[in-house]
Amino acid sequence: MSTQGSLKRGCKVEKNERFEIRIAGFGGQGVVTIGRILGEAFTLYEGKNSVNTQSYGPESRGGACRSEVVVSEGEIHYPNVRKADLFIAFSQVALNTYIADLREGGILLLDPSSVKDVPRRDKYQVYEVPTMEMAHNIGGVKFQNSVALGALYPLIAHMIKESSLRKAISGNVPPETVEINLRAFERGMRYAKEGKAK
Amino acid sequence: MPKKARRSEAATISPEPHFLKPGKYYLQGNQACIEGALMAGCCVYAGYPITPAVETMEYASKRFPQVGGRFIQMEDEIASACALIGSSWGGVKAMTATSGPGFSLMQEAISIAIMSETPMVIIDIQRAGPGQGYITASQQDIMQARWGHHGDGPIIALAPSSVQEMFDLTIEAFNLSERWRTPVLVMVEETVGHMWESLIVPSRDEIEVIERKKPQDLGIMPQDYLPWGHDIVAPMANWGEGYNVNFVALVHLEDGNISRYSPQANYHCVERLQNKIEGNVNQIARIETKFLEGCKHIIVCYGAVSRTAMEAIIDAREMSGLELGYVRLVTLWPFPEEKLREIIGDVDTIFVPEMNLGMMKHPITEALRDRCRKVVSIPSLGILHSPEYILSKIYEEIS
Amino acid sequence: MKRHPMLKYLKEEGPMGPRMPLIFCPGCGSGQVLNYTLHAVDEIIGEDKIRKEQFLFISGIGCSGRITSHYLNFDSAWTIHGRALAVATGALLANPAFKIIVFTGDGDTGSIGGNHFIHACRRNIDVTILCLNNGLYGMTGGQHAPTTPIGTITTTTPYRNREAAFDLCKLAEIAGASYVARWTTAHPRQVIKSIMKGIRKKGTAFIEILSQCPVHERMLPVALLKRFKESTIRISKTEESRHGKTPIGEFCDVDRKEWNESYQEIIDQFLAVNGKAHEQIVD
Repeated sequence: MSTQGSLKRGCKVEKNERFEIRIAGFGGQGVVTIGRILGEAFTLYEGKNSVNTQSYGPESRGGACRSEVVVSEGEIHYPNVRKADLFIAFSQVALNTYIADLREGGILLLDPSSVKDVPRRDKYQVYEVPTMEMAHNIGGVKFQNSVALGALYPLIAHMIKESSLRKAISGNVPPETVEINLRAFERGMRYAKEGKAK
Repeated sequence: MPKKARRSEAATISPEPHFLKPGKYYLQGNQACIEGALMAGCCVYAGYPITPAVETMEYASKRFPQVGGRFIQMEDEIASACALIGSSWGGVKAMTATSGPGFSLMQEAISIAIMSETPMVIIDIQRAGPGQGYITASQQDIMQARWGHHGDGPIIALAPSSVQEMFDLTIEAFNLSERWRTPVLVMVEETVGHMWESLIVPSRDEIEVIERKKPQDLGIMPQDYLPWGHDIVAPMANWGEGYNVNFVALVHLEDGNISRYSPQANYHCVERLQNKIEGNVNQIARIETKFLEGCKHIIVCYGAVSRTAMEAIIDAREMSGLELGYVRLVTLWPFPEEKLREIIGDVDTIFVPEMNLGMMKHPITEALRDRCRKVVSIPSLGILHSPEYILSKIYEEIS
Repeated sequence: MKRHPMLKYLKEEGPMGPRMPLIFCPGCGSGQVLNYTLHAVDEIIGEDKIRKEQFLFISGIGCSGRITSHYLNFDSAWTIHGRALAVATGALLANPAFKIIVFTGDGDTGSIGGNHFIHACRRNIDVTILCLNNGLYGMTGGQHAPTTPIGTITTTTPYRNREAAFDLCKLAEIAGASYVARWTTAHPRQVIKSIMKGIRKKGTAFIEILSQCPVHERMLPVALLKRFKESTIRISKTEESRHGKTPIGEFCDVDRKEWNESYQEIIDQFLAVNGKAHEQIVD
């Protein structure tokens, strides 16, 4: 039997900095895919650790859907979000359910066409991006997640390279849609960079 | 009777699996265990779909034929577990994955596998029970793992807590299974099964893979061969190798003779099985500890909950200076009682957070009741505890 | 005294002492079926150049299960009630070269193992199933089985059996078995020929053998064998001319792809792109 890693009393405990992302909306909006893409990008292309979990059971019924990504340079213990640093809300229900878990000053990315009411808006950095409409113009609402990822990118650019996200998108969407997804990503990114997301 | 020992010529699966190359991967827990199994040389997967273990099965259906192995979707979980017995005696390593209700259906075959000393691996992606329960995370099959099968007889069960461990502990499960000739269970929560995380795959030569000991290797000829004798773990002749093995799960003598039943033969047969595993608990079982020295209060945990427990322990040290010790059971069964008593001297409270209403709390209490003031269960059903919840229960108890 | 020629396939002695006698009651059909089977296997070994080690006998629980008991000098498995075919399926996945003969009973196959039975036939796994049908549960004391005729008194149908009986041959045929036949223990040559056909058949062969239980039927074995002769009729006869007798003979003999043959085609695809497969999983 091996007993590993007994630490001496009073030794310094490193608390690893975590960046916590939550994505929530309805099924079909690419909530799970965004989580997977972000997780893969941080893990495989940025050399960080990440844990991605998805809603399961009661939460995944009735169309509600949630995905979480915890990113850290160090070891990640608790795999779920404790206080989100970033929250992407694709529906009013999702926002109402999870807004309380967004830390003060945290980033809230939403689509104003589906999320109208943000309580205590001044507590957060709110970015409104018409992801659905933009996706629709590109080729269909199924590209909403790539638009959202693009709009998100400038907000997390200090942590991740654009190429990492592009690689992860390419690896996680159907091969025949890679090109159009990357275009959706660019469109979202441009929208955010132009300062249109308020 | 053939006088010559031979290797099976018939076994046509000579896997040269397309193993994952060394490197970093991003995989789901339910998939990582399949990669671990392939790395351990598993050739057969027989299963039946059940939520939340389906991803394992779907992934197996894709991967097994790629490496020259065979995948089959059986008619039910009973058949799946029975097929593993056939495959194992047919000379290959075999596995299945299931969840609560399916695990119940496999208990008959598990019992037969214990008695016939059949190596095989079953992964239980636990869901909440009883009954249909729900498809959410749970640790409610922990006791079924130990006592679910009919009759006495030991079991080995491991509890991974990450995607990496789904890979590592599945390899370990196969190794233990081959080494000790017994079914090995990997008890997973839906949390870990569905989790996506990095997986570091080492090169093949860094991975220890254990193969079953065979009479051919020991120079034992068919006419002298005792399928359940020679050693505490008998060398195993597979079917097709000229040893004329009569597989039995009835009380048997070392040579498989079942006609000379006596209460003494019964005792000897079953006690040997028990001793084989329980008597070697210190070789089989692993635990991990951290921050133990001088702690008044300790958390004993396993599986996904150990990640929350670690988070809570670090929080407590940072925020209130409360020093909590950490003990994680990597192996659930056989229960490492002696080792626990070695490392836990005299403490005030032992907290046992579990995703059930307090199951491992019982063997822990049995092992440590004279070493602490109290053992406190912290249950959670259907969801992983949050660190805050575990801490609130601890503060409630010790304040 | 002249030794029985099939004794060469039985273990009279083991490393820890004698393994005989057989467990069967006097006059039981199981001994006959074992004898017929060993004759068939003996001929196959002689004629087909199949090695003895390739043969594997698997059984479930019940009187039929005891045929593979510890006195068989082959690799064998005496497994779980009803589950012999599931174990056989696993063995074939490990090693498609096995020549598997499954001994089973009517309760084993028709009741507790019914699901495994129909799915083995559906998959057309390469086994020869010998079903000893005595119309009751002998080992547990003569309870009624899914093959017990309506109106029969057994230990669990004291007021006579009300349930219709399964026709296991029809079931096997509809489920997809490649070869299906029915005989009785009073048809030794036919049984041996059918078993040889079954072993040679790539796919599931199901051979039902009506077998006597003199103990529970409370009749002399010889009278029961005589009854088998009188109460059965060749399947080639038309339905009208059978006069309610049990049809015997070959129900079907077709060639259909066997499970492993078919699965090998998938494996071969990947052997063709050797070394490439690992890349596919990362996409």
